[in-house]
Amino acid sequence: MSELSQSRTATAAPRRSSGLFGIDLASPKHANKLGYLLLAPAALLILAILVYPMLLAIDISFHDVKFATLSFGSADYTLVNYQKLFSSPDFWNALRVTAQLLLVVTSISMVVGMGTALLVNQQFRGRSFARMLIALPWAIPEVVAVVTWVWILDASFGVLNWLLIKIGLIGGPVSWFSSPSTAFSAVTMVMVWKGYPFISIMILAGLQSIPEEYYQAAKVDGANVFQRFFWVTIPCIAPVLGVTLILTVLWVFRDFSIIYVLTGGGPVGATETLAIMTYEEAFNFFRMGYASSIGVVTLVICAVISAFLVKKTSHAIY
Amino acid sequence: MKRTLPQSILLYTTLVVVISVLLFPVYWMVITSLAPSNALRSFPPQFWPHNPQWQTYTNLIFNTDMPRWLLNSAVVALAATGISMLVSVLAAYSLSRYTMKGSEAVGLFILMSKMLPATMLIIPLFSIFRNLGLMGSLWSLIIAHATAIVPFATWMLKGYFDSIPQELEQAAQVDGCTPWGALFRVILPVSAPGLAATALYGFVLSWADYLYARTFLANAAGNWTANVGIATFKGEYQTDWNVIMAASLLAALPIMIAYLFLQRYLVGGLTAGAGK
Repeated sequence: MSELSQSRTATAAPRRSSGLFGIDLASPKHANKLGYLLLAPAALLILAILVYPMLLAIDISFHDVKFATLSFGSADYTLVNYQKLFSSPDFWNALRVTAQLLLVVTSISMVVGMGTALLVNQQFRGRSFARMLIALPWAIPEVVAVVTWVWILDASFGVLNWLLIKIGLIGGPVSWFSSPSTAFSAVTMVMVWKGYPFISIMILAGLQSIPEEYYQAAKVDGANVFQRFFWVTIPCIAPVLGVTLILTVLWVFRDFSIIYVLTGGGPVGATETLAIMTYEEAFNFFRMGYASSIGVVTLVICAVISAFLVKKTSHAIY
Repeated sequence: MKRTLPQSILLYTTLVVVISVLLFPVYWMVITSLAPSNALRSFPPQFWPHNPQWQTYTNLIFNTDMPRWLLNSAVVALAATGISMLVSVLAAYSLSRYTMKGSEAVGLFILMSKMLPATMLIIPLFSIFRNLGLMGSLWSLIIAHATAIVPFATWMLKGYFDSIPQELEQAAQVDGCTPWGALFRVILPVSAPGLAATALYGFVLSWADYLYARTFLANAAGNWTANVGIATFKGEYQTDWNVIMAASLLAALPIMIAYLFLQRYLVGGLTAGAGK
């Protein structure tokens, strides 16, 4: 540092020392206080609207609470909700449906997201426009997307049935929401459509951070396009893939709106995930305690999955 | 890298096919919204509006509650995003620049809150809002949306601030800026794209919400947001698909427009926190 700037620091110091809220910000001893001060509003907000409600939900899950008695303060702690939960076939069905959906939706949307990202990562004219279009479904609210798909899938006048009949894939119109397997397919389709743009955006950013020299070196070594993909591209974007996978898994796991508006969890529970079951128990049957116990189990599973994935993908998130 | 002609043709054909398939639902939404009611019950479907019916839109705007619902959505999304941004910018800057006891705990909380199932959180929030008398008020939504936006915004902005060299505000402080001044006059202007991306993300999160809006505003039809209104359309006006699609398009339009303008920054902002 030059003598000049040193002297400027010295003259500037007294002006700063008045500080904010009487904290002497100029002294390094107090510098961290500003750090705490800046963090405080967010920390308080998170405590008030996330941590406290979460503890409350756990607390409610240990009470036999019905809607009418949501003021449960004095009631006894009980395990009755969890006992009921683990012996309920509905819960095991919801767990199975959730796992199935997780596997199918995550894998398909990762493939579509990766494919579209690789496609618009090519050099061509109009590339930025193509990138914009590829990710456009991201900008459409879930409910709007679902309502649009309900119309596309309409049994009598839906354009998808017309198209499938036209190309000879099906003999007559399919009533998508009345059989378990087609309803599951419908949910999958909409979720992939809503989910792939985010994956595509993330992977594209990862692809752009790979230095071109890596590919040239691989070419010199005689690697073909598939070898370059598996030995250069994939390892380079592994951290991004990891984070994307975690966020996608958590999204599928917890999503409510798409399934609820599309099928309401039916028919016969074919699309009833843990999220749908939690909501139905809480706000249709008003069994708040029971619903909370499903929510707590969901949270525990989410935590286990993320811990596992975070470990696998090193410290990609933090 | 030069491409041969067949390779170029292959690339453009793939692009056109992929984009057409992926964006077909958006196209279908637009086409249906312009179709006359009787055309909706004809096979084969009309793939081009020969006789676009703009009055579907004017009807929707002048004769239904749609404008009010859109306004509610806007008020909630702006307020939730504004409050969240204010809090998150400060927190993210603190987490990025200061090493304090407890920073890690806060980081962990943020990570944790991204895992909380909203369907679980909504039960205690319902009880809290009922006790506070906020049920049916837009405030319940603003607060509930902040629960989702603050953690994500803090996370995104921390990644963004991390990518800005510390020397920048050190230089500003050498020149006589206070730490506040350095943050507001130097760091924030430099991170404008990151702020825009984060704000857009928060706005989208709030605008797209259906779960909280449906639950907290169930008995307050005047305060419904666009999504709640549209979801009721689905049940009630099963035949008027042109009206439903027009309403859907109106609800999607603000985000789509913002996305078109901010798309570039959004990509940078989303991945700044994830990269490494």
